[in-house]
Amino acid sequence: MSQHLESSPPVYAERNYLNTPATGLKSWLTTLDHKRIGVMFLIATLFFFAVGGLFAMLIRIELLTPGPTIMDAMTYNRLFTLHGVVMIFLFMIPAIPSGFGNFLLPIMVGAKDVAFPRLNLLSFYIYLLGAVIALGGMIYGGADTGWTFYTPYSTTTTTKVVPILLGAFILGFSSILTGLNFIVTVHTLRAPGITWNKLPLFVWSIYGTSVIQILATPVLGMTLLLVAIEHAFGWGIFDPGRGGDPVLFQHFFWFYSHPAVYIMVLPAMAVISEVVCAFSHKNIFGYKAVAYSSLGIAFVGFFTWGHHLFTSGQSAFNAGIFGVLSMFVGIFTAIKIFNWVATMYRGSISFKTPFLYFIGFLFFLFFGGMTGIALATVSLDIHWQDTYFVVAHFHFIMVGSTIMAFLAALHYWWPKITGRMYNERWGLVGATLVVSGFVFTFLPQFLLGNEGMPRRYFNYPERFQALNVASTAGASVLGIGFLIILIYILVSLKYGPVAGPNPWGSRGYEWLTPSPPPLENFDVLPAFERGPHEYHELPGSESAAPGAGTSHA
Amino acid sequence: MHSAVAHHFESLEKQGQAQRLGMWLFLATEVLLFTALFAAYGVYRYLYTGAFSQASRGLETWMGGVNTFVLVTSSFTVAMGLDAIVKGKNKRTGLLFGLSILLGCTFMVLKGFEYRHHFLHAELPGPFYGGPIAGSGGSMFFALYFLITGLHAFHVLIGMTVLGVIGARTWLGKYDAEHHVPVELAGLYWHLVDLIWIFVFPLLYLI
Amino acid sequence: MSDHTSAAATAAHSHAGRYLVVWAALMALTALTWGLSTIHIPGLAGVAVALAIAMVKGTLVALFFMHLWDQPGPNRLVLVTSLVFVAVLVTLPLLDNATRFPLANPPDAETAPQRIRDAILNEGPPAPAHAPAHP
Repeated sequence: MSQHLESSPPVYAERNYLNTPATGLKSWLTTLDHKRIGVMFLIATLFFFAVGGLFAMLIRIELLTPGPTIMDAMTYNRLFTLHGVVMIFLFMIPAIPSGFGNFLLPIMVGAKDVAFPRLNLLSFYIYLLGAVIALGGMIYGGADTGWTFYTPYSTTTTTKVVPILLGAFILGFSSILTGLNFIVTVHTLRAPGITWNKLPLFVWSIYGTSVIQILATPVLGMTLLLVAIEHAFGWGIFDPGRGGDPVLFQHFFWFYSHPAVYIMVLPAMAVISEVVCAFSHKNIFGYKAVAYSSLGIAFVGFFTWGHHLFTSGQSAFNAGIFGVLSMFVGIFTAIKIFNWVATMYRGSISFKTPFLYFIGFLFFLFFGGMTGIALATVSLDIHWQDTYFVVAHFHFIMVGSTIMAFLAALHYWWPKITGRMYNERWGLVGATLVVSGFVFTFLPQFLLGNEGMPRRYFNYPERFQALNVASTAGASVLGIGFLIILIYILVSLKYGPVAGPNPWGSRGYEWLTPSPPPLENFDVLPAFERGPHEYHELPGSESAAPGAGTSHA
Repeated sequence: MHSAVAHHFESLEKQGQAQRLGMWLFLATEVLLFTALFAAYGVYRYLYTGAFSQASRGLETWMGGVNTFVLVTSSFTVAMGLDAIVKGKNKRTGLLFGLSILLGCTFMVLKGFEYRHHFLHAELPGPFYGGPIAGSGGSMFFALYFLITGLHAFHVLIGMTVLGVIGARTWLGKYDAEHHVPVELAGLYWHLVDLIWIFVFPLLYLI
Repeated sequence: MSDHTSAAATAAHSHAGRYLVVWAALMALTALTWGLSTIHIPGLAGVAVALAIAMVKGTLVALFFMHLWDQPGPNRLVLVTSLVFVAVLVTLPLLDNATRFPLANPPDAETAPQRIRDAILNEGPPAPAHAPAHP
């Protein structure tokens, strides 16, 4: 019975979420369908990724030579602030959870929609509002504090920091609403047959992410509000001149912003757990370990924020505690890495574009993670604090792995979202350029940081120039890679071959429905007898063997 | 099926479960929103212990105390309102919610008198502080005092609005014994406002 | 699932008596904590007593007014989890200030050396004109 259902979806569903109930712009802007909201989030986040990327390119061009190259110091300060704000609050935090999560999570739990569809749409508009206010602040003058808004500088600077604070504050609500929706959906809308132990690993990780979003974001909101009040009225909460403690601001800020790193990385891990199974055509190794380690990271991630404050005047006692606790994150991350690698072992690997991104992800996560362990060591951190070593570290671990996973997700689920395939050959070219470009952008920065080049400086001594040029060259390769991806993916929208319901031969639940999925996700709800990561043969089911999909080589 | 069930829920009960869980998650974010201020209070109380207790003793404790009684009682009337709708008595729920709003107003009025008192005595945050306490402790206490009570008062206002809307809808018969989750959720929000005040009162007024 | 039966129980039963008892207890505890504050229990003991009473009151509200007593596990888990993080956010920064090198705390904090404090209170900009009278 279930056999029949699982192999029944048509090659291209005539009535799907893209044309049902209507195709006009209004039907999109007022939609309550989680899939459309997910797609709108994807488009919006990609736009801001392009904006943030443009800032990054300008920064790299400026750093090509010592002294002024194309801008003055103040413009540079504004640019790196905006680069940070846009990339973190407008791209990395919402991209995978609000974009892919919205699209996939309800399908993966066999639901018709998220628990609160109106709240979901509201979350999107709050996101747009926050983005407009933050961008408005940027055009209105911009801030020069860095995305971390450290006091007392942020409360005394004459640049327009308040609109950007307000924008980030509003974006927090969007994040909270999405997280809330996901948690409730997972708890109450799982289809019959999908028990907690048959949830796709993507859902587990997104669930962990949502927990962090719910618990940490309000603290950031309050903190930004306090900074805005301080900036406007000078109440002195963080001002040592009035008896305040600026380090307290850092505590509050990082109470959110360190877990926020896991808001970015956990969804990346969510994607990777799906991709590694689908392209190794093999059961996930240690399902429970991977699932629970997501929650472990979410939990332990809250106890590590003090490692940002090692040189800020925090007590040595606290620094010791936070240093040790920070290393605990490594345990859970290592569990995941071992399990992914073990999943590949003796699998039947098809080396498609998403898999290439997975390899890149493993490299960045591992390299970034190991430098993270080094940075969590208090004595070493004192040398590296606020140097390019830190910049390179967090670009590897949080940006590198998130972008790898984002691109893996984009390619892996592109046929599901659009119903069409991208060009695999160009996909491999793009992936190669992006992975190598990323490595060549940030490897020189590790070296620069170790030599002592501080971050956020517009100028540097002559002897650092060679490595800076190397970094900018890497960034150019990265930029070209992104352009290629953008082009072939847009081309595939019109000219790509029709993908079919399950082009990868994956066992994930989202592949049991036609591509693009129908309005309420499943025309006939499958029985979900098989787990989402089970590639073993069930007795008497030869016809559904992995690789039965259309394009598996 | 009941008309209030959205298309993606299998039953009214399941939908109610989802709405309750959603509300609790929202309340958790509210708790953490206030926690940042409580943490700041903890740190500065440690740094300015003497100044904080001196400033605390200068507050009108009787106003805070009476307000606690008022808010606890309003929580009770809200709870009784839920009890009434469970029994299907929608008019009684409307009345009890109205009474709760009146108690909320009492709270706000008393709070207003208290603020007036502080303004008259220049017991204000940061540079506006002109009270008797030397050093930064006094101004810091009042910065936190206004932040915490101000945020709380803001929540009281929202809570009163929510009670007003839901109370009116209940009066008009939109909810009944079978379908009354929104009444319950409005109550949850109001109880949280009460819950936070239960901690604010001793922290600011008593210790 | 046990959730269903307990949720149904919430809907079916009247809790008026229970609410009345809880309300009375809350009023009594408020009076108690107010009364205790007038006798000024010194130091941390006073804080501990006041917070303990507040926690009892808060527990009563959460369990009975907010129905956690007879509601399914996830709702309880949400509140308990949030309280864990409340504890984390309150204690770790406090621990930092308490174990810090004294001069890394704000300059006129009462934890700073008396000599420095006096100097700031006498000359520093934040001090009001009548500062020297501080004990």
